[in-house]
Amino acid sequence: MDLARRMFMGQLARFTAGASLVPLATVAEAAINEQPPRRGGDPAKRYAMLIDLRRCIGCQACTVSCHLENDAPLGKFRTIVSQYEVDDPETGDMSTFFLPRLCNHCDNPPCVPVCPVQATYQQEDGIVVVDAERCVGCAYCVQACPYDARFINDKTQTADKCTFCTHRLEAGLLPACVESCVGGARIIGDLNDPESTISKMVAEHHGELKVLQPEKGTSPHVFYLGMDERFIDRPEAFASIWDIHGKDNEELHYEFSGH
Amino acid sequence: MDKTRRNLLKGGAIAAGAATFAAGYSEPLTRMAKGLTGSSGEKPKHPVYGNALDPEYRVDLETGDVTPNPDQRVAFTVCYGCTTKCGVRVRIDNRSETVLRSVGNPFNPLSADEHADETLPVKDALLRTTAFQDQGWAARSTTCARGNAMIAQITSPHRITQCLKRAGKRGEGKWETISFEQLIEEIVEGGDLFGEGHVDGLAAINDYDTPLDPENPEYGPKTNQLLVMEATDYGRSAVLRRFSDKAFGTRNYGHHGSYCGLAFRMGAGAMMNDLAKNAHLKPDFEKATFGLFIGTAPSQAGNPFKRQGRLLSKARVDETLEYIVVDPALNASVARAAGPRANWVPIRPGSDTALGMALMRLLFETEGYAAEYLAIPNAAAAKAAGEPSHSNAVHLVITSDDHPRAGAFLRESDLGLKPADAEDDAPMVMDATGAIVPANTVERAELFTDAKVTLADGNSVDVRSSLRLLRDEALSHPLEEMAGECGVSVEQLQHMAGKLKEHGRTAAVDCHGGMMSGAGFYSAYALQLLNVLVGNVNHTGGSAHGGGKFNGAGKGPRYNLAGFKGARKPKGVFLSRSRFPYEKTSEFKRLKAEGKSPYPARAPWRRLAPPVLTDHITAAIDGYPYPIKAMIGVMCNPIYGQAGLKTLIADKLRDPKVLPLYVAVDGFINETNTYADYIVPDSVMYEVWGFTGAWSGNLTKMTTACWPIVEPRQAKTADGQPVSMESFFIKLAKRLGLDGFGDNAITDAEGGTHPLNRAEDFYLRAAANIAFMGKPLPDASEDDIRFSGLERLLPEIEATLPAEERGPVAHLYSRGGRYQTFDKARDGEALGNPWKRTLCVWNEKVGTCIDSMTGKRLFGTARFLRPAMADGSAMRDHFGEADWPMLAFSYKSNVMNSYSVGLERLRMIKPYNPILVNHDDAERLGIAHGAEILVESPGGRLRGLAIVTKGVMPGAIGIEHSFGHTELGARDHVIDGETVPGNPWIAAGVNINDLGFADPTRKTLGTWLEPVSGASVRQGLPVRISAV
Repeated sequence: MDLARRMFMGQLARFTAGASLVPLATVAEAAINEQPPRRGGDPAKRYAMLIDLRRCIGCQACTVSCHLENDAPLGKFRTIVSQYEVDDPETGDMSTFFLPRLCNHCDNPPCVPVCPVQATYQQEDGIVVVDAERCVGCAYCVQACPYDARFINDKTQTADKCTFCTHRLEAGLLPACVESCVGGARIIGDLNDPESTISKMVAEHHGELKVLQPEKGTSPHVFYLGMDERFIDRPEAFASIWDIHGKDNEELHYEFSGH
Repeated sequence: MDKTRRNLLKGGAIAAGAATFAAGYSEPLTRMAKGLTGSSGEKPKHPVYGNALDPEYRVDLETGDVTPNPDQRVAFTVCYGCTTKCGVRVRIDNRSETVLRSVGNPFNPLSADEHADETLPVKDALLRTTAFQDQGWAARSTTCARGNAMIAQITSPHRITQCLKRAGKRGEGKWETISFEQLIEEIVEGGDLFGEGHVDGLAAINDYDTPLDPENPEYGPKTNQLLVMEATDYGRSAVLRRFSDKAFGTRNYGHHGSYCGLAFRMGAGAMMNDLAKNAHLKPDFEKATFGLFIGTAPSQAGNPFKRQGRLLSKARVDETLEYIVVDPALNASVARAAGPRANWVPIRPGSDTALGMALMRLLFETEGYAAEYLAIPNAAAAKAAGEPSHSNAVHLVITSDDHPRAGAFLRESDLGLKPADAEDDAPMVMDATGAIVPANTVERAELFTDAKVTLADGNSVDVRSSLRLLRDEALSHPLEEMAGECGVSVEQLQHMAGKLKEHGRTAAVDCHGGMMSGAGFYSAYALQLLNVLVGNVNHTGGSAHGGGKFNGAGKGPRYNLAGFKGARKPKGVFLSRSRFPYEKTSEFKRLKAEGKSPYPARAPWRRLAPPVLTDHITAAIDGYPYPIKAMIGVMCNPIYGQAGLKTLIADKLRDPKVLPLYVAVDGFINETNTYADYIVPDSVMYEVWGFTGAWSGNLTKMTTACWPIVEPRQAKTADGQPVSMESFFIKLAKRLGLDGFGDNAITDAEGGTHPLNRAEDFYLRAAANIAFMGKPLPDASEDDIRFSGLERLLPEIEATLPAEERGPVAHLYSRGGRYQTFDKARDGEALGNPWKRTLCVWNEKVGTCIDSMTGKRLFGTARFLRPAMADGSAMRDHFGEADWPMLAFSYKSNVMNSYSVGLERLRMIKPYNPILVNHDDAERLGIAHGAEILVESPGGRLRGLAIVTKGVMPGAIGIEHSFGHTELGARDHVIDGETVPGNPWIAAGVNINDLGFADPTRKTLGTWLEPVSGASVRQGLPVRISAV
């Protein structure tokens, strides 16, 4: 099974443990431990993304759009939508839960200090990026990220991850995942601008917003709206099948794991 | 190398660090070693952006100035990623002519909501989708995963780019490339083409005057010996049918509908009084307050895919819609984040008539139906009452079985009030005084009439109102019985009916592909009648027919593209024996004359059904009603799509004597055209011309335009045209000397003539028709042309159209189509584009139709019915539960479609389709989650992995459609001696249609087809499963 796949399932396991989500409001601002100074980007801005799960239809438009926009290797993802079948702890009713995943552009990014060459750094606008000219592909950052948001790009042999499509933001355009989101689940914007859509939504829904694994102290800047409390208390998720069988039912393994 | 990097390399070499890494993470270690030896990867274009695409424009966020990237262009066209056919905007690299990525067209309602008004300059519409003034999120226009992944078709290694002729046996996978001109010559002239003996060419069957079978003259001329089939109208059917129907004059055209959703479409058509085109309804998602989705799942799949998904997600946030998804499997519609407003109710496959009748019973018992509305007997009374639709609920049906007009409405002529052939022979109703009066003379009539009426001839007949007949059926089965049949509890049924009653006009019932069962027609009819009972049709928040399209291919304001001098009219009996009364055949008369019982017929003659591909090919192979000599298939794959067809006919297709000539037009080799004698390489998505409409889920009138925004990559004809479906039919018609193609083939509104020698000769004139409909479109501005990548199209427009048409046509293409404005979706409480016909609680055409297999009349309204075989017997009478205890069903993937498995960016997300098995069944059968299982049916078997879940109905197994391919790149083909290797991952998974089987009640070749419609049955196939 492909590494990226295993990682996504790993995330699921942590989900099942039940400690992964707490309301944003209760997260204390994490101390920045040994974070090198931020550089580049617009110091006036702090980009963040709000994902309104009520709007996500799990269509993977974001996944494929991002993949084309950013030339990601096949089978590796800067963003993907994980799909879970869940049952309600009170009623037993079944439903489908979608979780769009990407780099959380943390305020205290654990991937940054571990980089021995300072290739991974945080811009002043909050976006965590990798300088591919510095990166040696050691994958310390890949291991350090609790969200499995990083991978080694087979072609460039460097660490790769979501950049919030900073190249598009700088051109006044929306990230590929945002502009292609069918339901409009992804809202990106500048938290420093109180008039931005995201600032207004954060203000309106502050008590309901959740982040992934807040106990890690990373202060993620991807906020989820519509994470059901009952889901946090007792998520009921089964691992999906990632084995692949061919025409004669032979095991084929994941096609894109050989990169 | 800079200093920091060298430091790391040293650090990386420290043994302890490496060992720690190696413990569970060998891959990065390898990378480190590579780094040490200096063999690192390719340097990306930009240190931070990596190999990300350059932006297509730059927007000044202060001023809103948009500066296009000169190395790219953005053009509007149609997506072929599924049959929704969304309008998209496509980024193309000007230097390499490669397609980079696709997003939605902001003018197109299938991709945007609300869509931009076409009077808005293109630049401004694009600006709205950017970060400027934070408006991009609301104004976004999208392309889904499939649409973007489909770009890979253009450069796929499995794409056919040359004309192919088979170089081995049928289906052997050996081909030689030939010129387009040789291909045309051979299929027209025929001869000993494959060293297997003489094959008749199309010239030999181009005989429109000689009956193909003198014994049965009603079968029509010899031209009917050509079958032309296509998947569906991807905006190009007008040219195909100009050839098949009007130039060649064959009766035999077919498309994929009969193995897609025909049972639903006919059930809806019966309710909507449109069995000719089988119109259907979709909910007004924006304003509906309660949705009941049965065998359809907005946002999981369905049509229009993105529009439904977008409106559903919005309704979840706005908390305007509560909905229940009734389906054998849990799907994406039932989103956890919607909370208690979205619920899933599992149902037994194929049992939907029980659900429908139970819900109707409850509505009747609780007076949950719109009584005042149903009492309205005609359109004028509806208008007077402010109702946006009306039905025939109160019209009286003759129910005396022995009466020659049994099943028909009692009309004025029956009472001597009008001559029998009068055109305005109105149906009768009972008024409040108990008098029997014409339906068009009263404002209201009695709902539940049951009476005896004396006719003009002195005889008396029994009559009942349509609604009475329906209520009698609904009340004839106890609730518990129906609950037991469908596996939905009485409490759940009561809950659903209660919601329908509570929400009334803004409750919408929606069904689709789940109706492809052995009782599909009556299932869909029953469920659609719920919309009539609550009175929601044409109502804001209710059920909508949709806005329709601008048809440029008809007799338009500028050109007549519908007809031409010398046009033929298809005549005779369809291969599938559809729409022709068995009682009018020579065979029937012969049997009668011989004193034999004509029933059951040798094979079903489905009088109400459209021509169905599901029985065209089997009929042709079987020779009943007649054999054919040639078949042309365009992007069409019934062998993959029709349950049981492959098992039944694959061997016969291998035999050239059975079907002597098969020409396919396609960009890819699929499970059907792998048996072709010739393959004509076709243009693929973004390389084609055409005009597509919207399905019923869109409330405004619209037509999406498509044109070759990139140059087709396949071979060219000798005169420099891309080889394609269009150039093939044009050349074929000209070579055969048929009218309607070539010089002077097209007539304009002033009587002048124009050529049809190239695709654009047709499509640009169709564009002119659309641009000049109603108020003509204005000219496109220079900015419009620049921002829609139209510079490449302008020379073609100038070379083809007169000066006065060029500006409006450029305007049309610069917006990627023509669209009614968003505000026309509604007209107060009514929908803006209403369905105008009388809705049928009783459908007279159905109620008077004789079933050719039983000799009995069909029932004209909904009723409880178990899945049945062709002769009307229950499926379970043949395949009992003892041997086949479970029922298999298929469901649409939310990522793959039936022809997308070749796309690696979809395979990387969804590489395989494990089989859904209920938790309790698995426990009973000893099947573990992820274990291999064997699924056996009366017609086939397959092996796959089980997903053990509570998300599927007990006793049912669910198979996600679109996997289990044997072609589309799954196997090797040899072209000119060179092997194009197959990819085993393309063959991954299973196809439910491999479980299909022959109908044992038929004397002729045929798979299990729903009796009324001839639709392929794939919901509720009897199976047994076991652990391997």
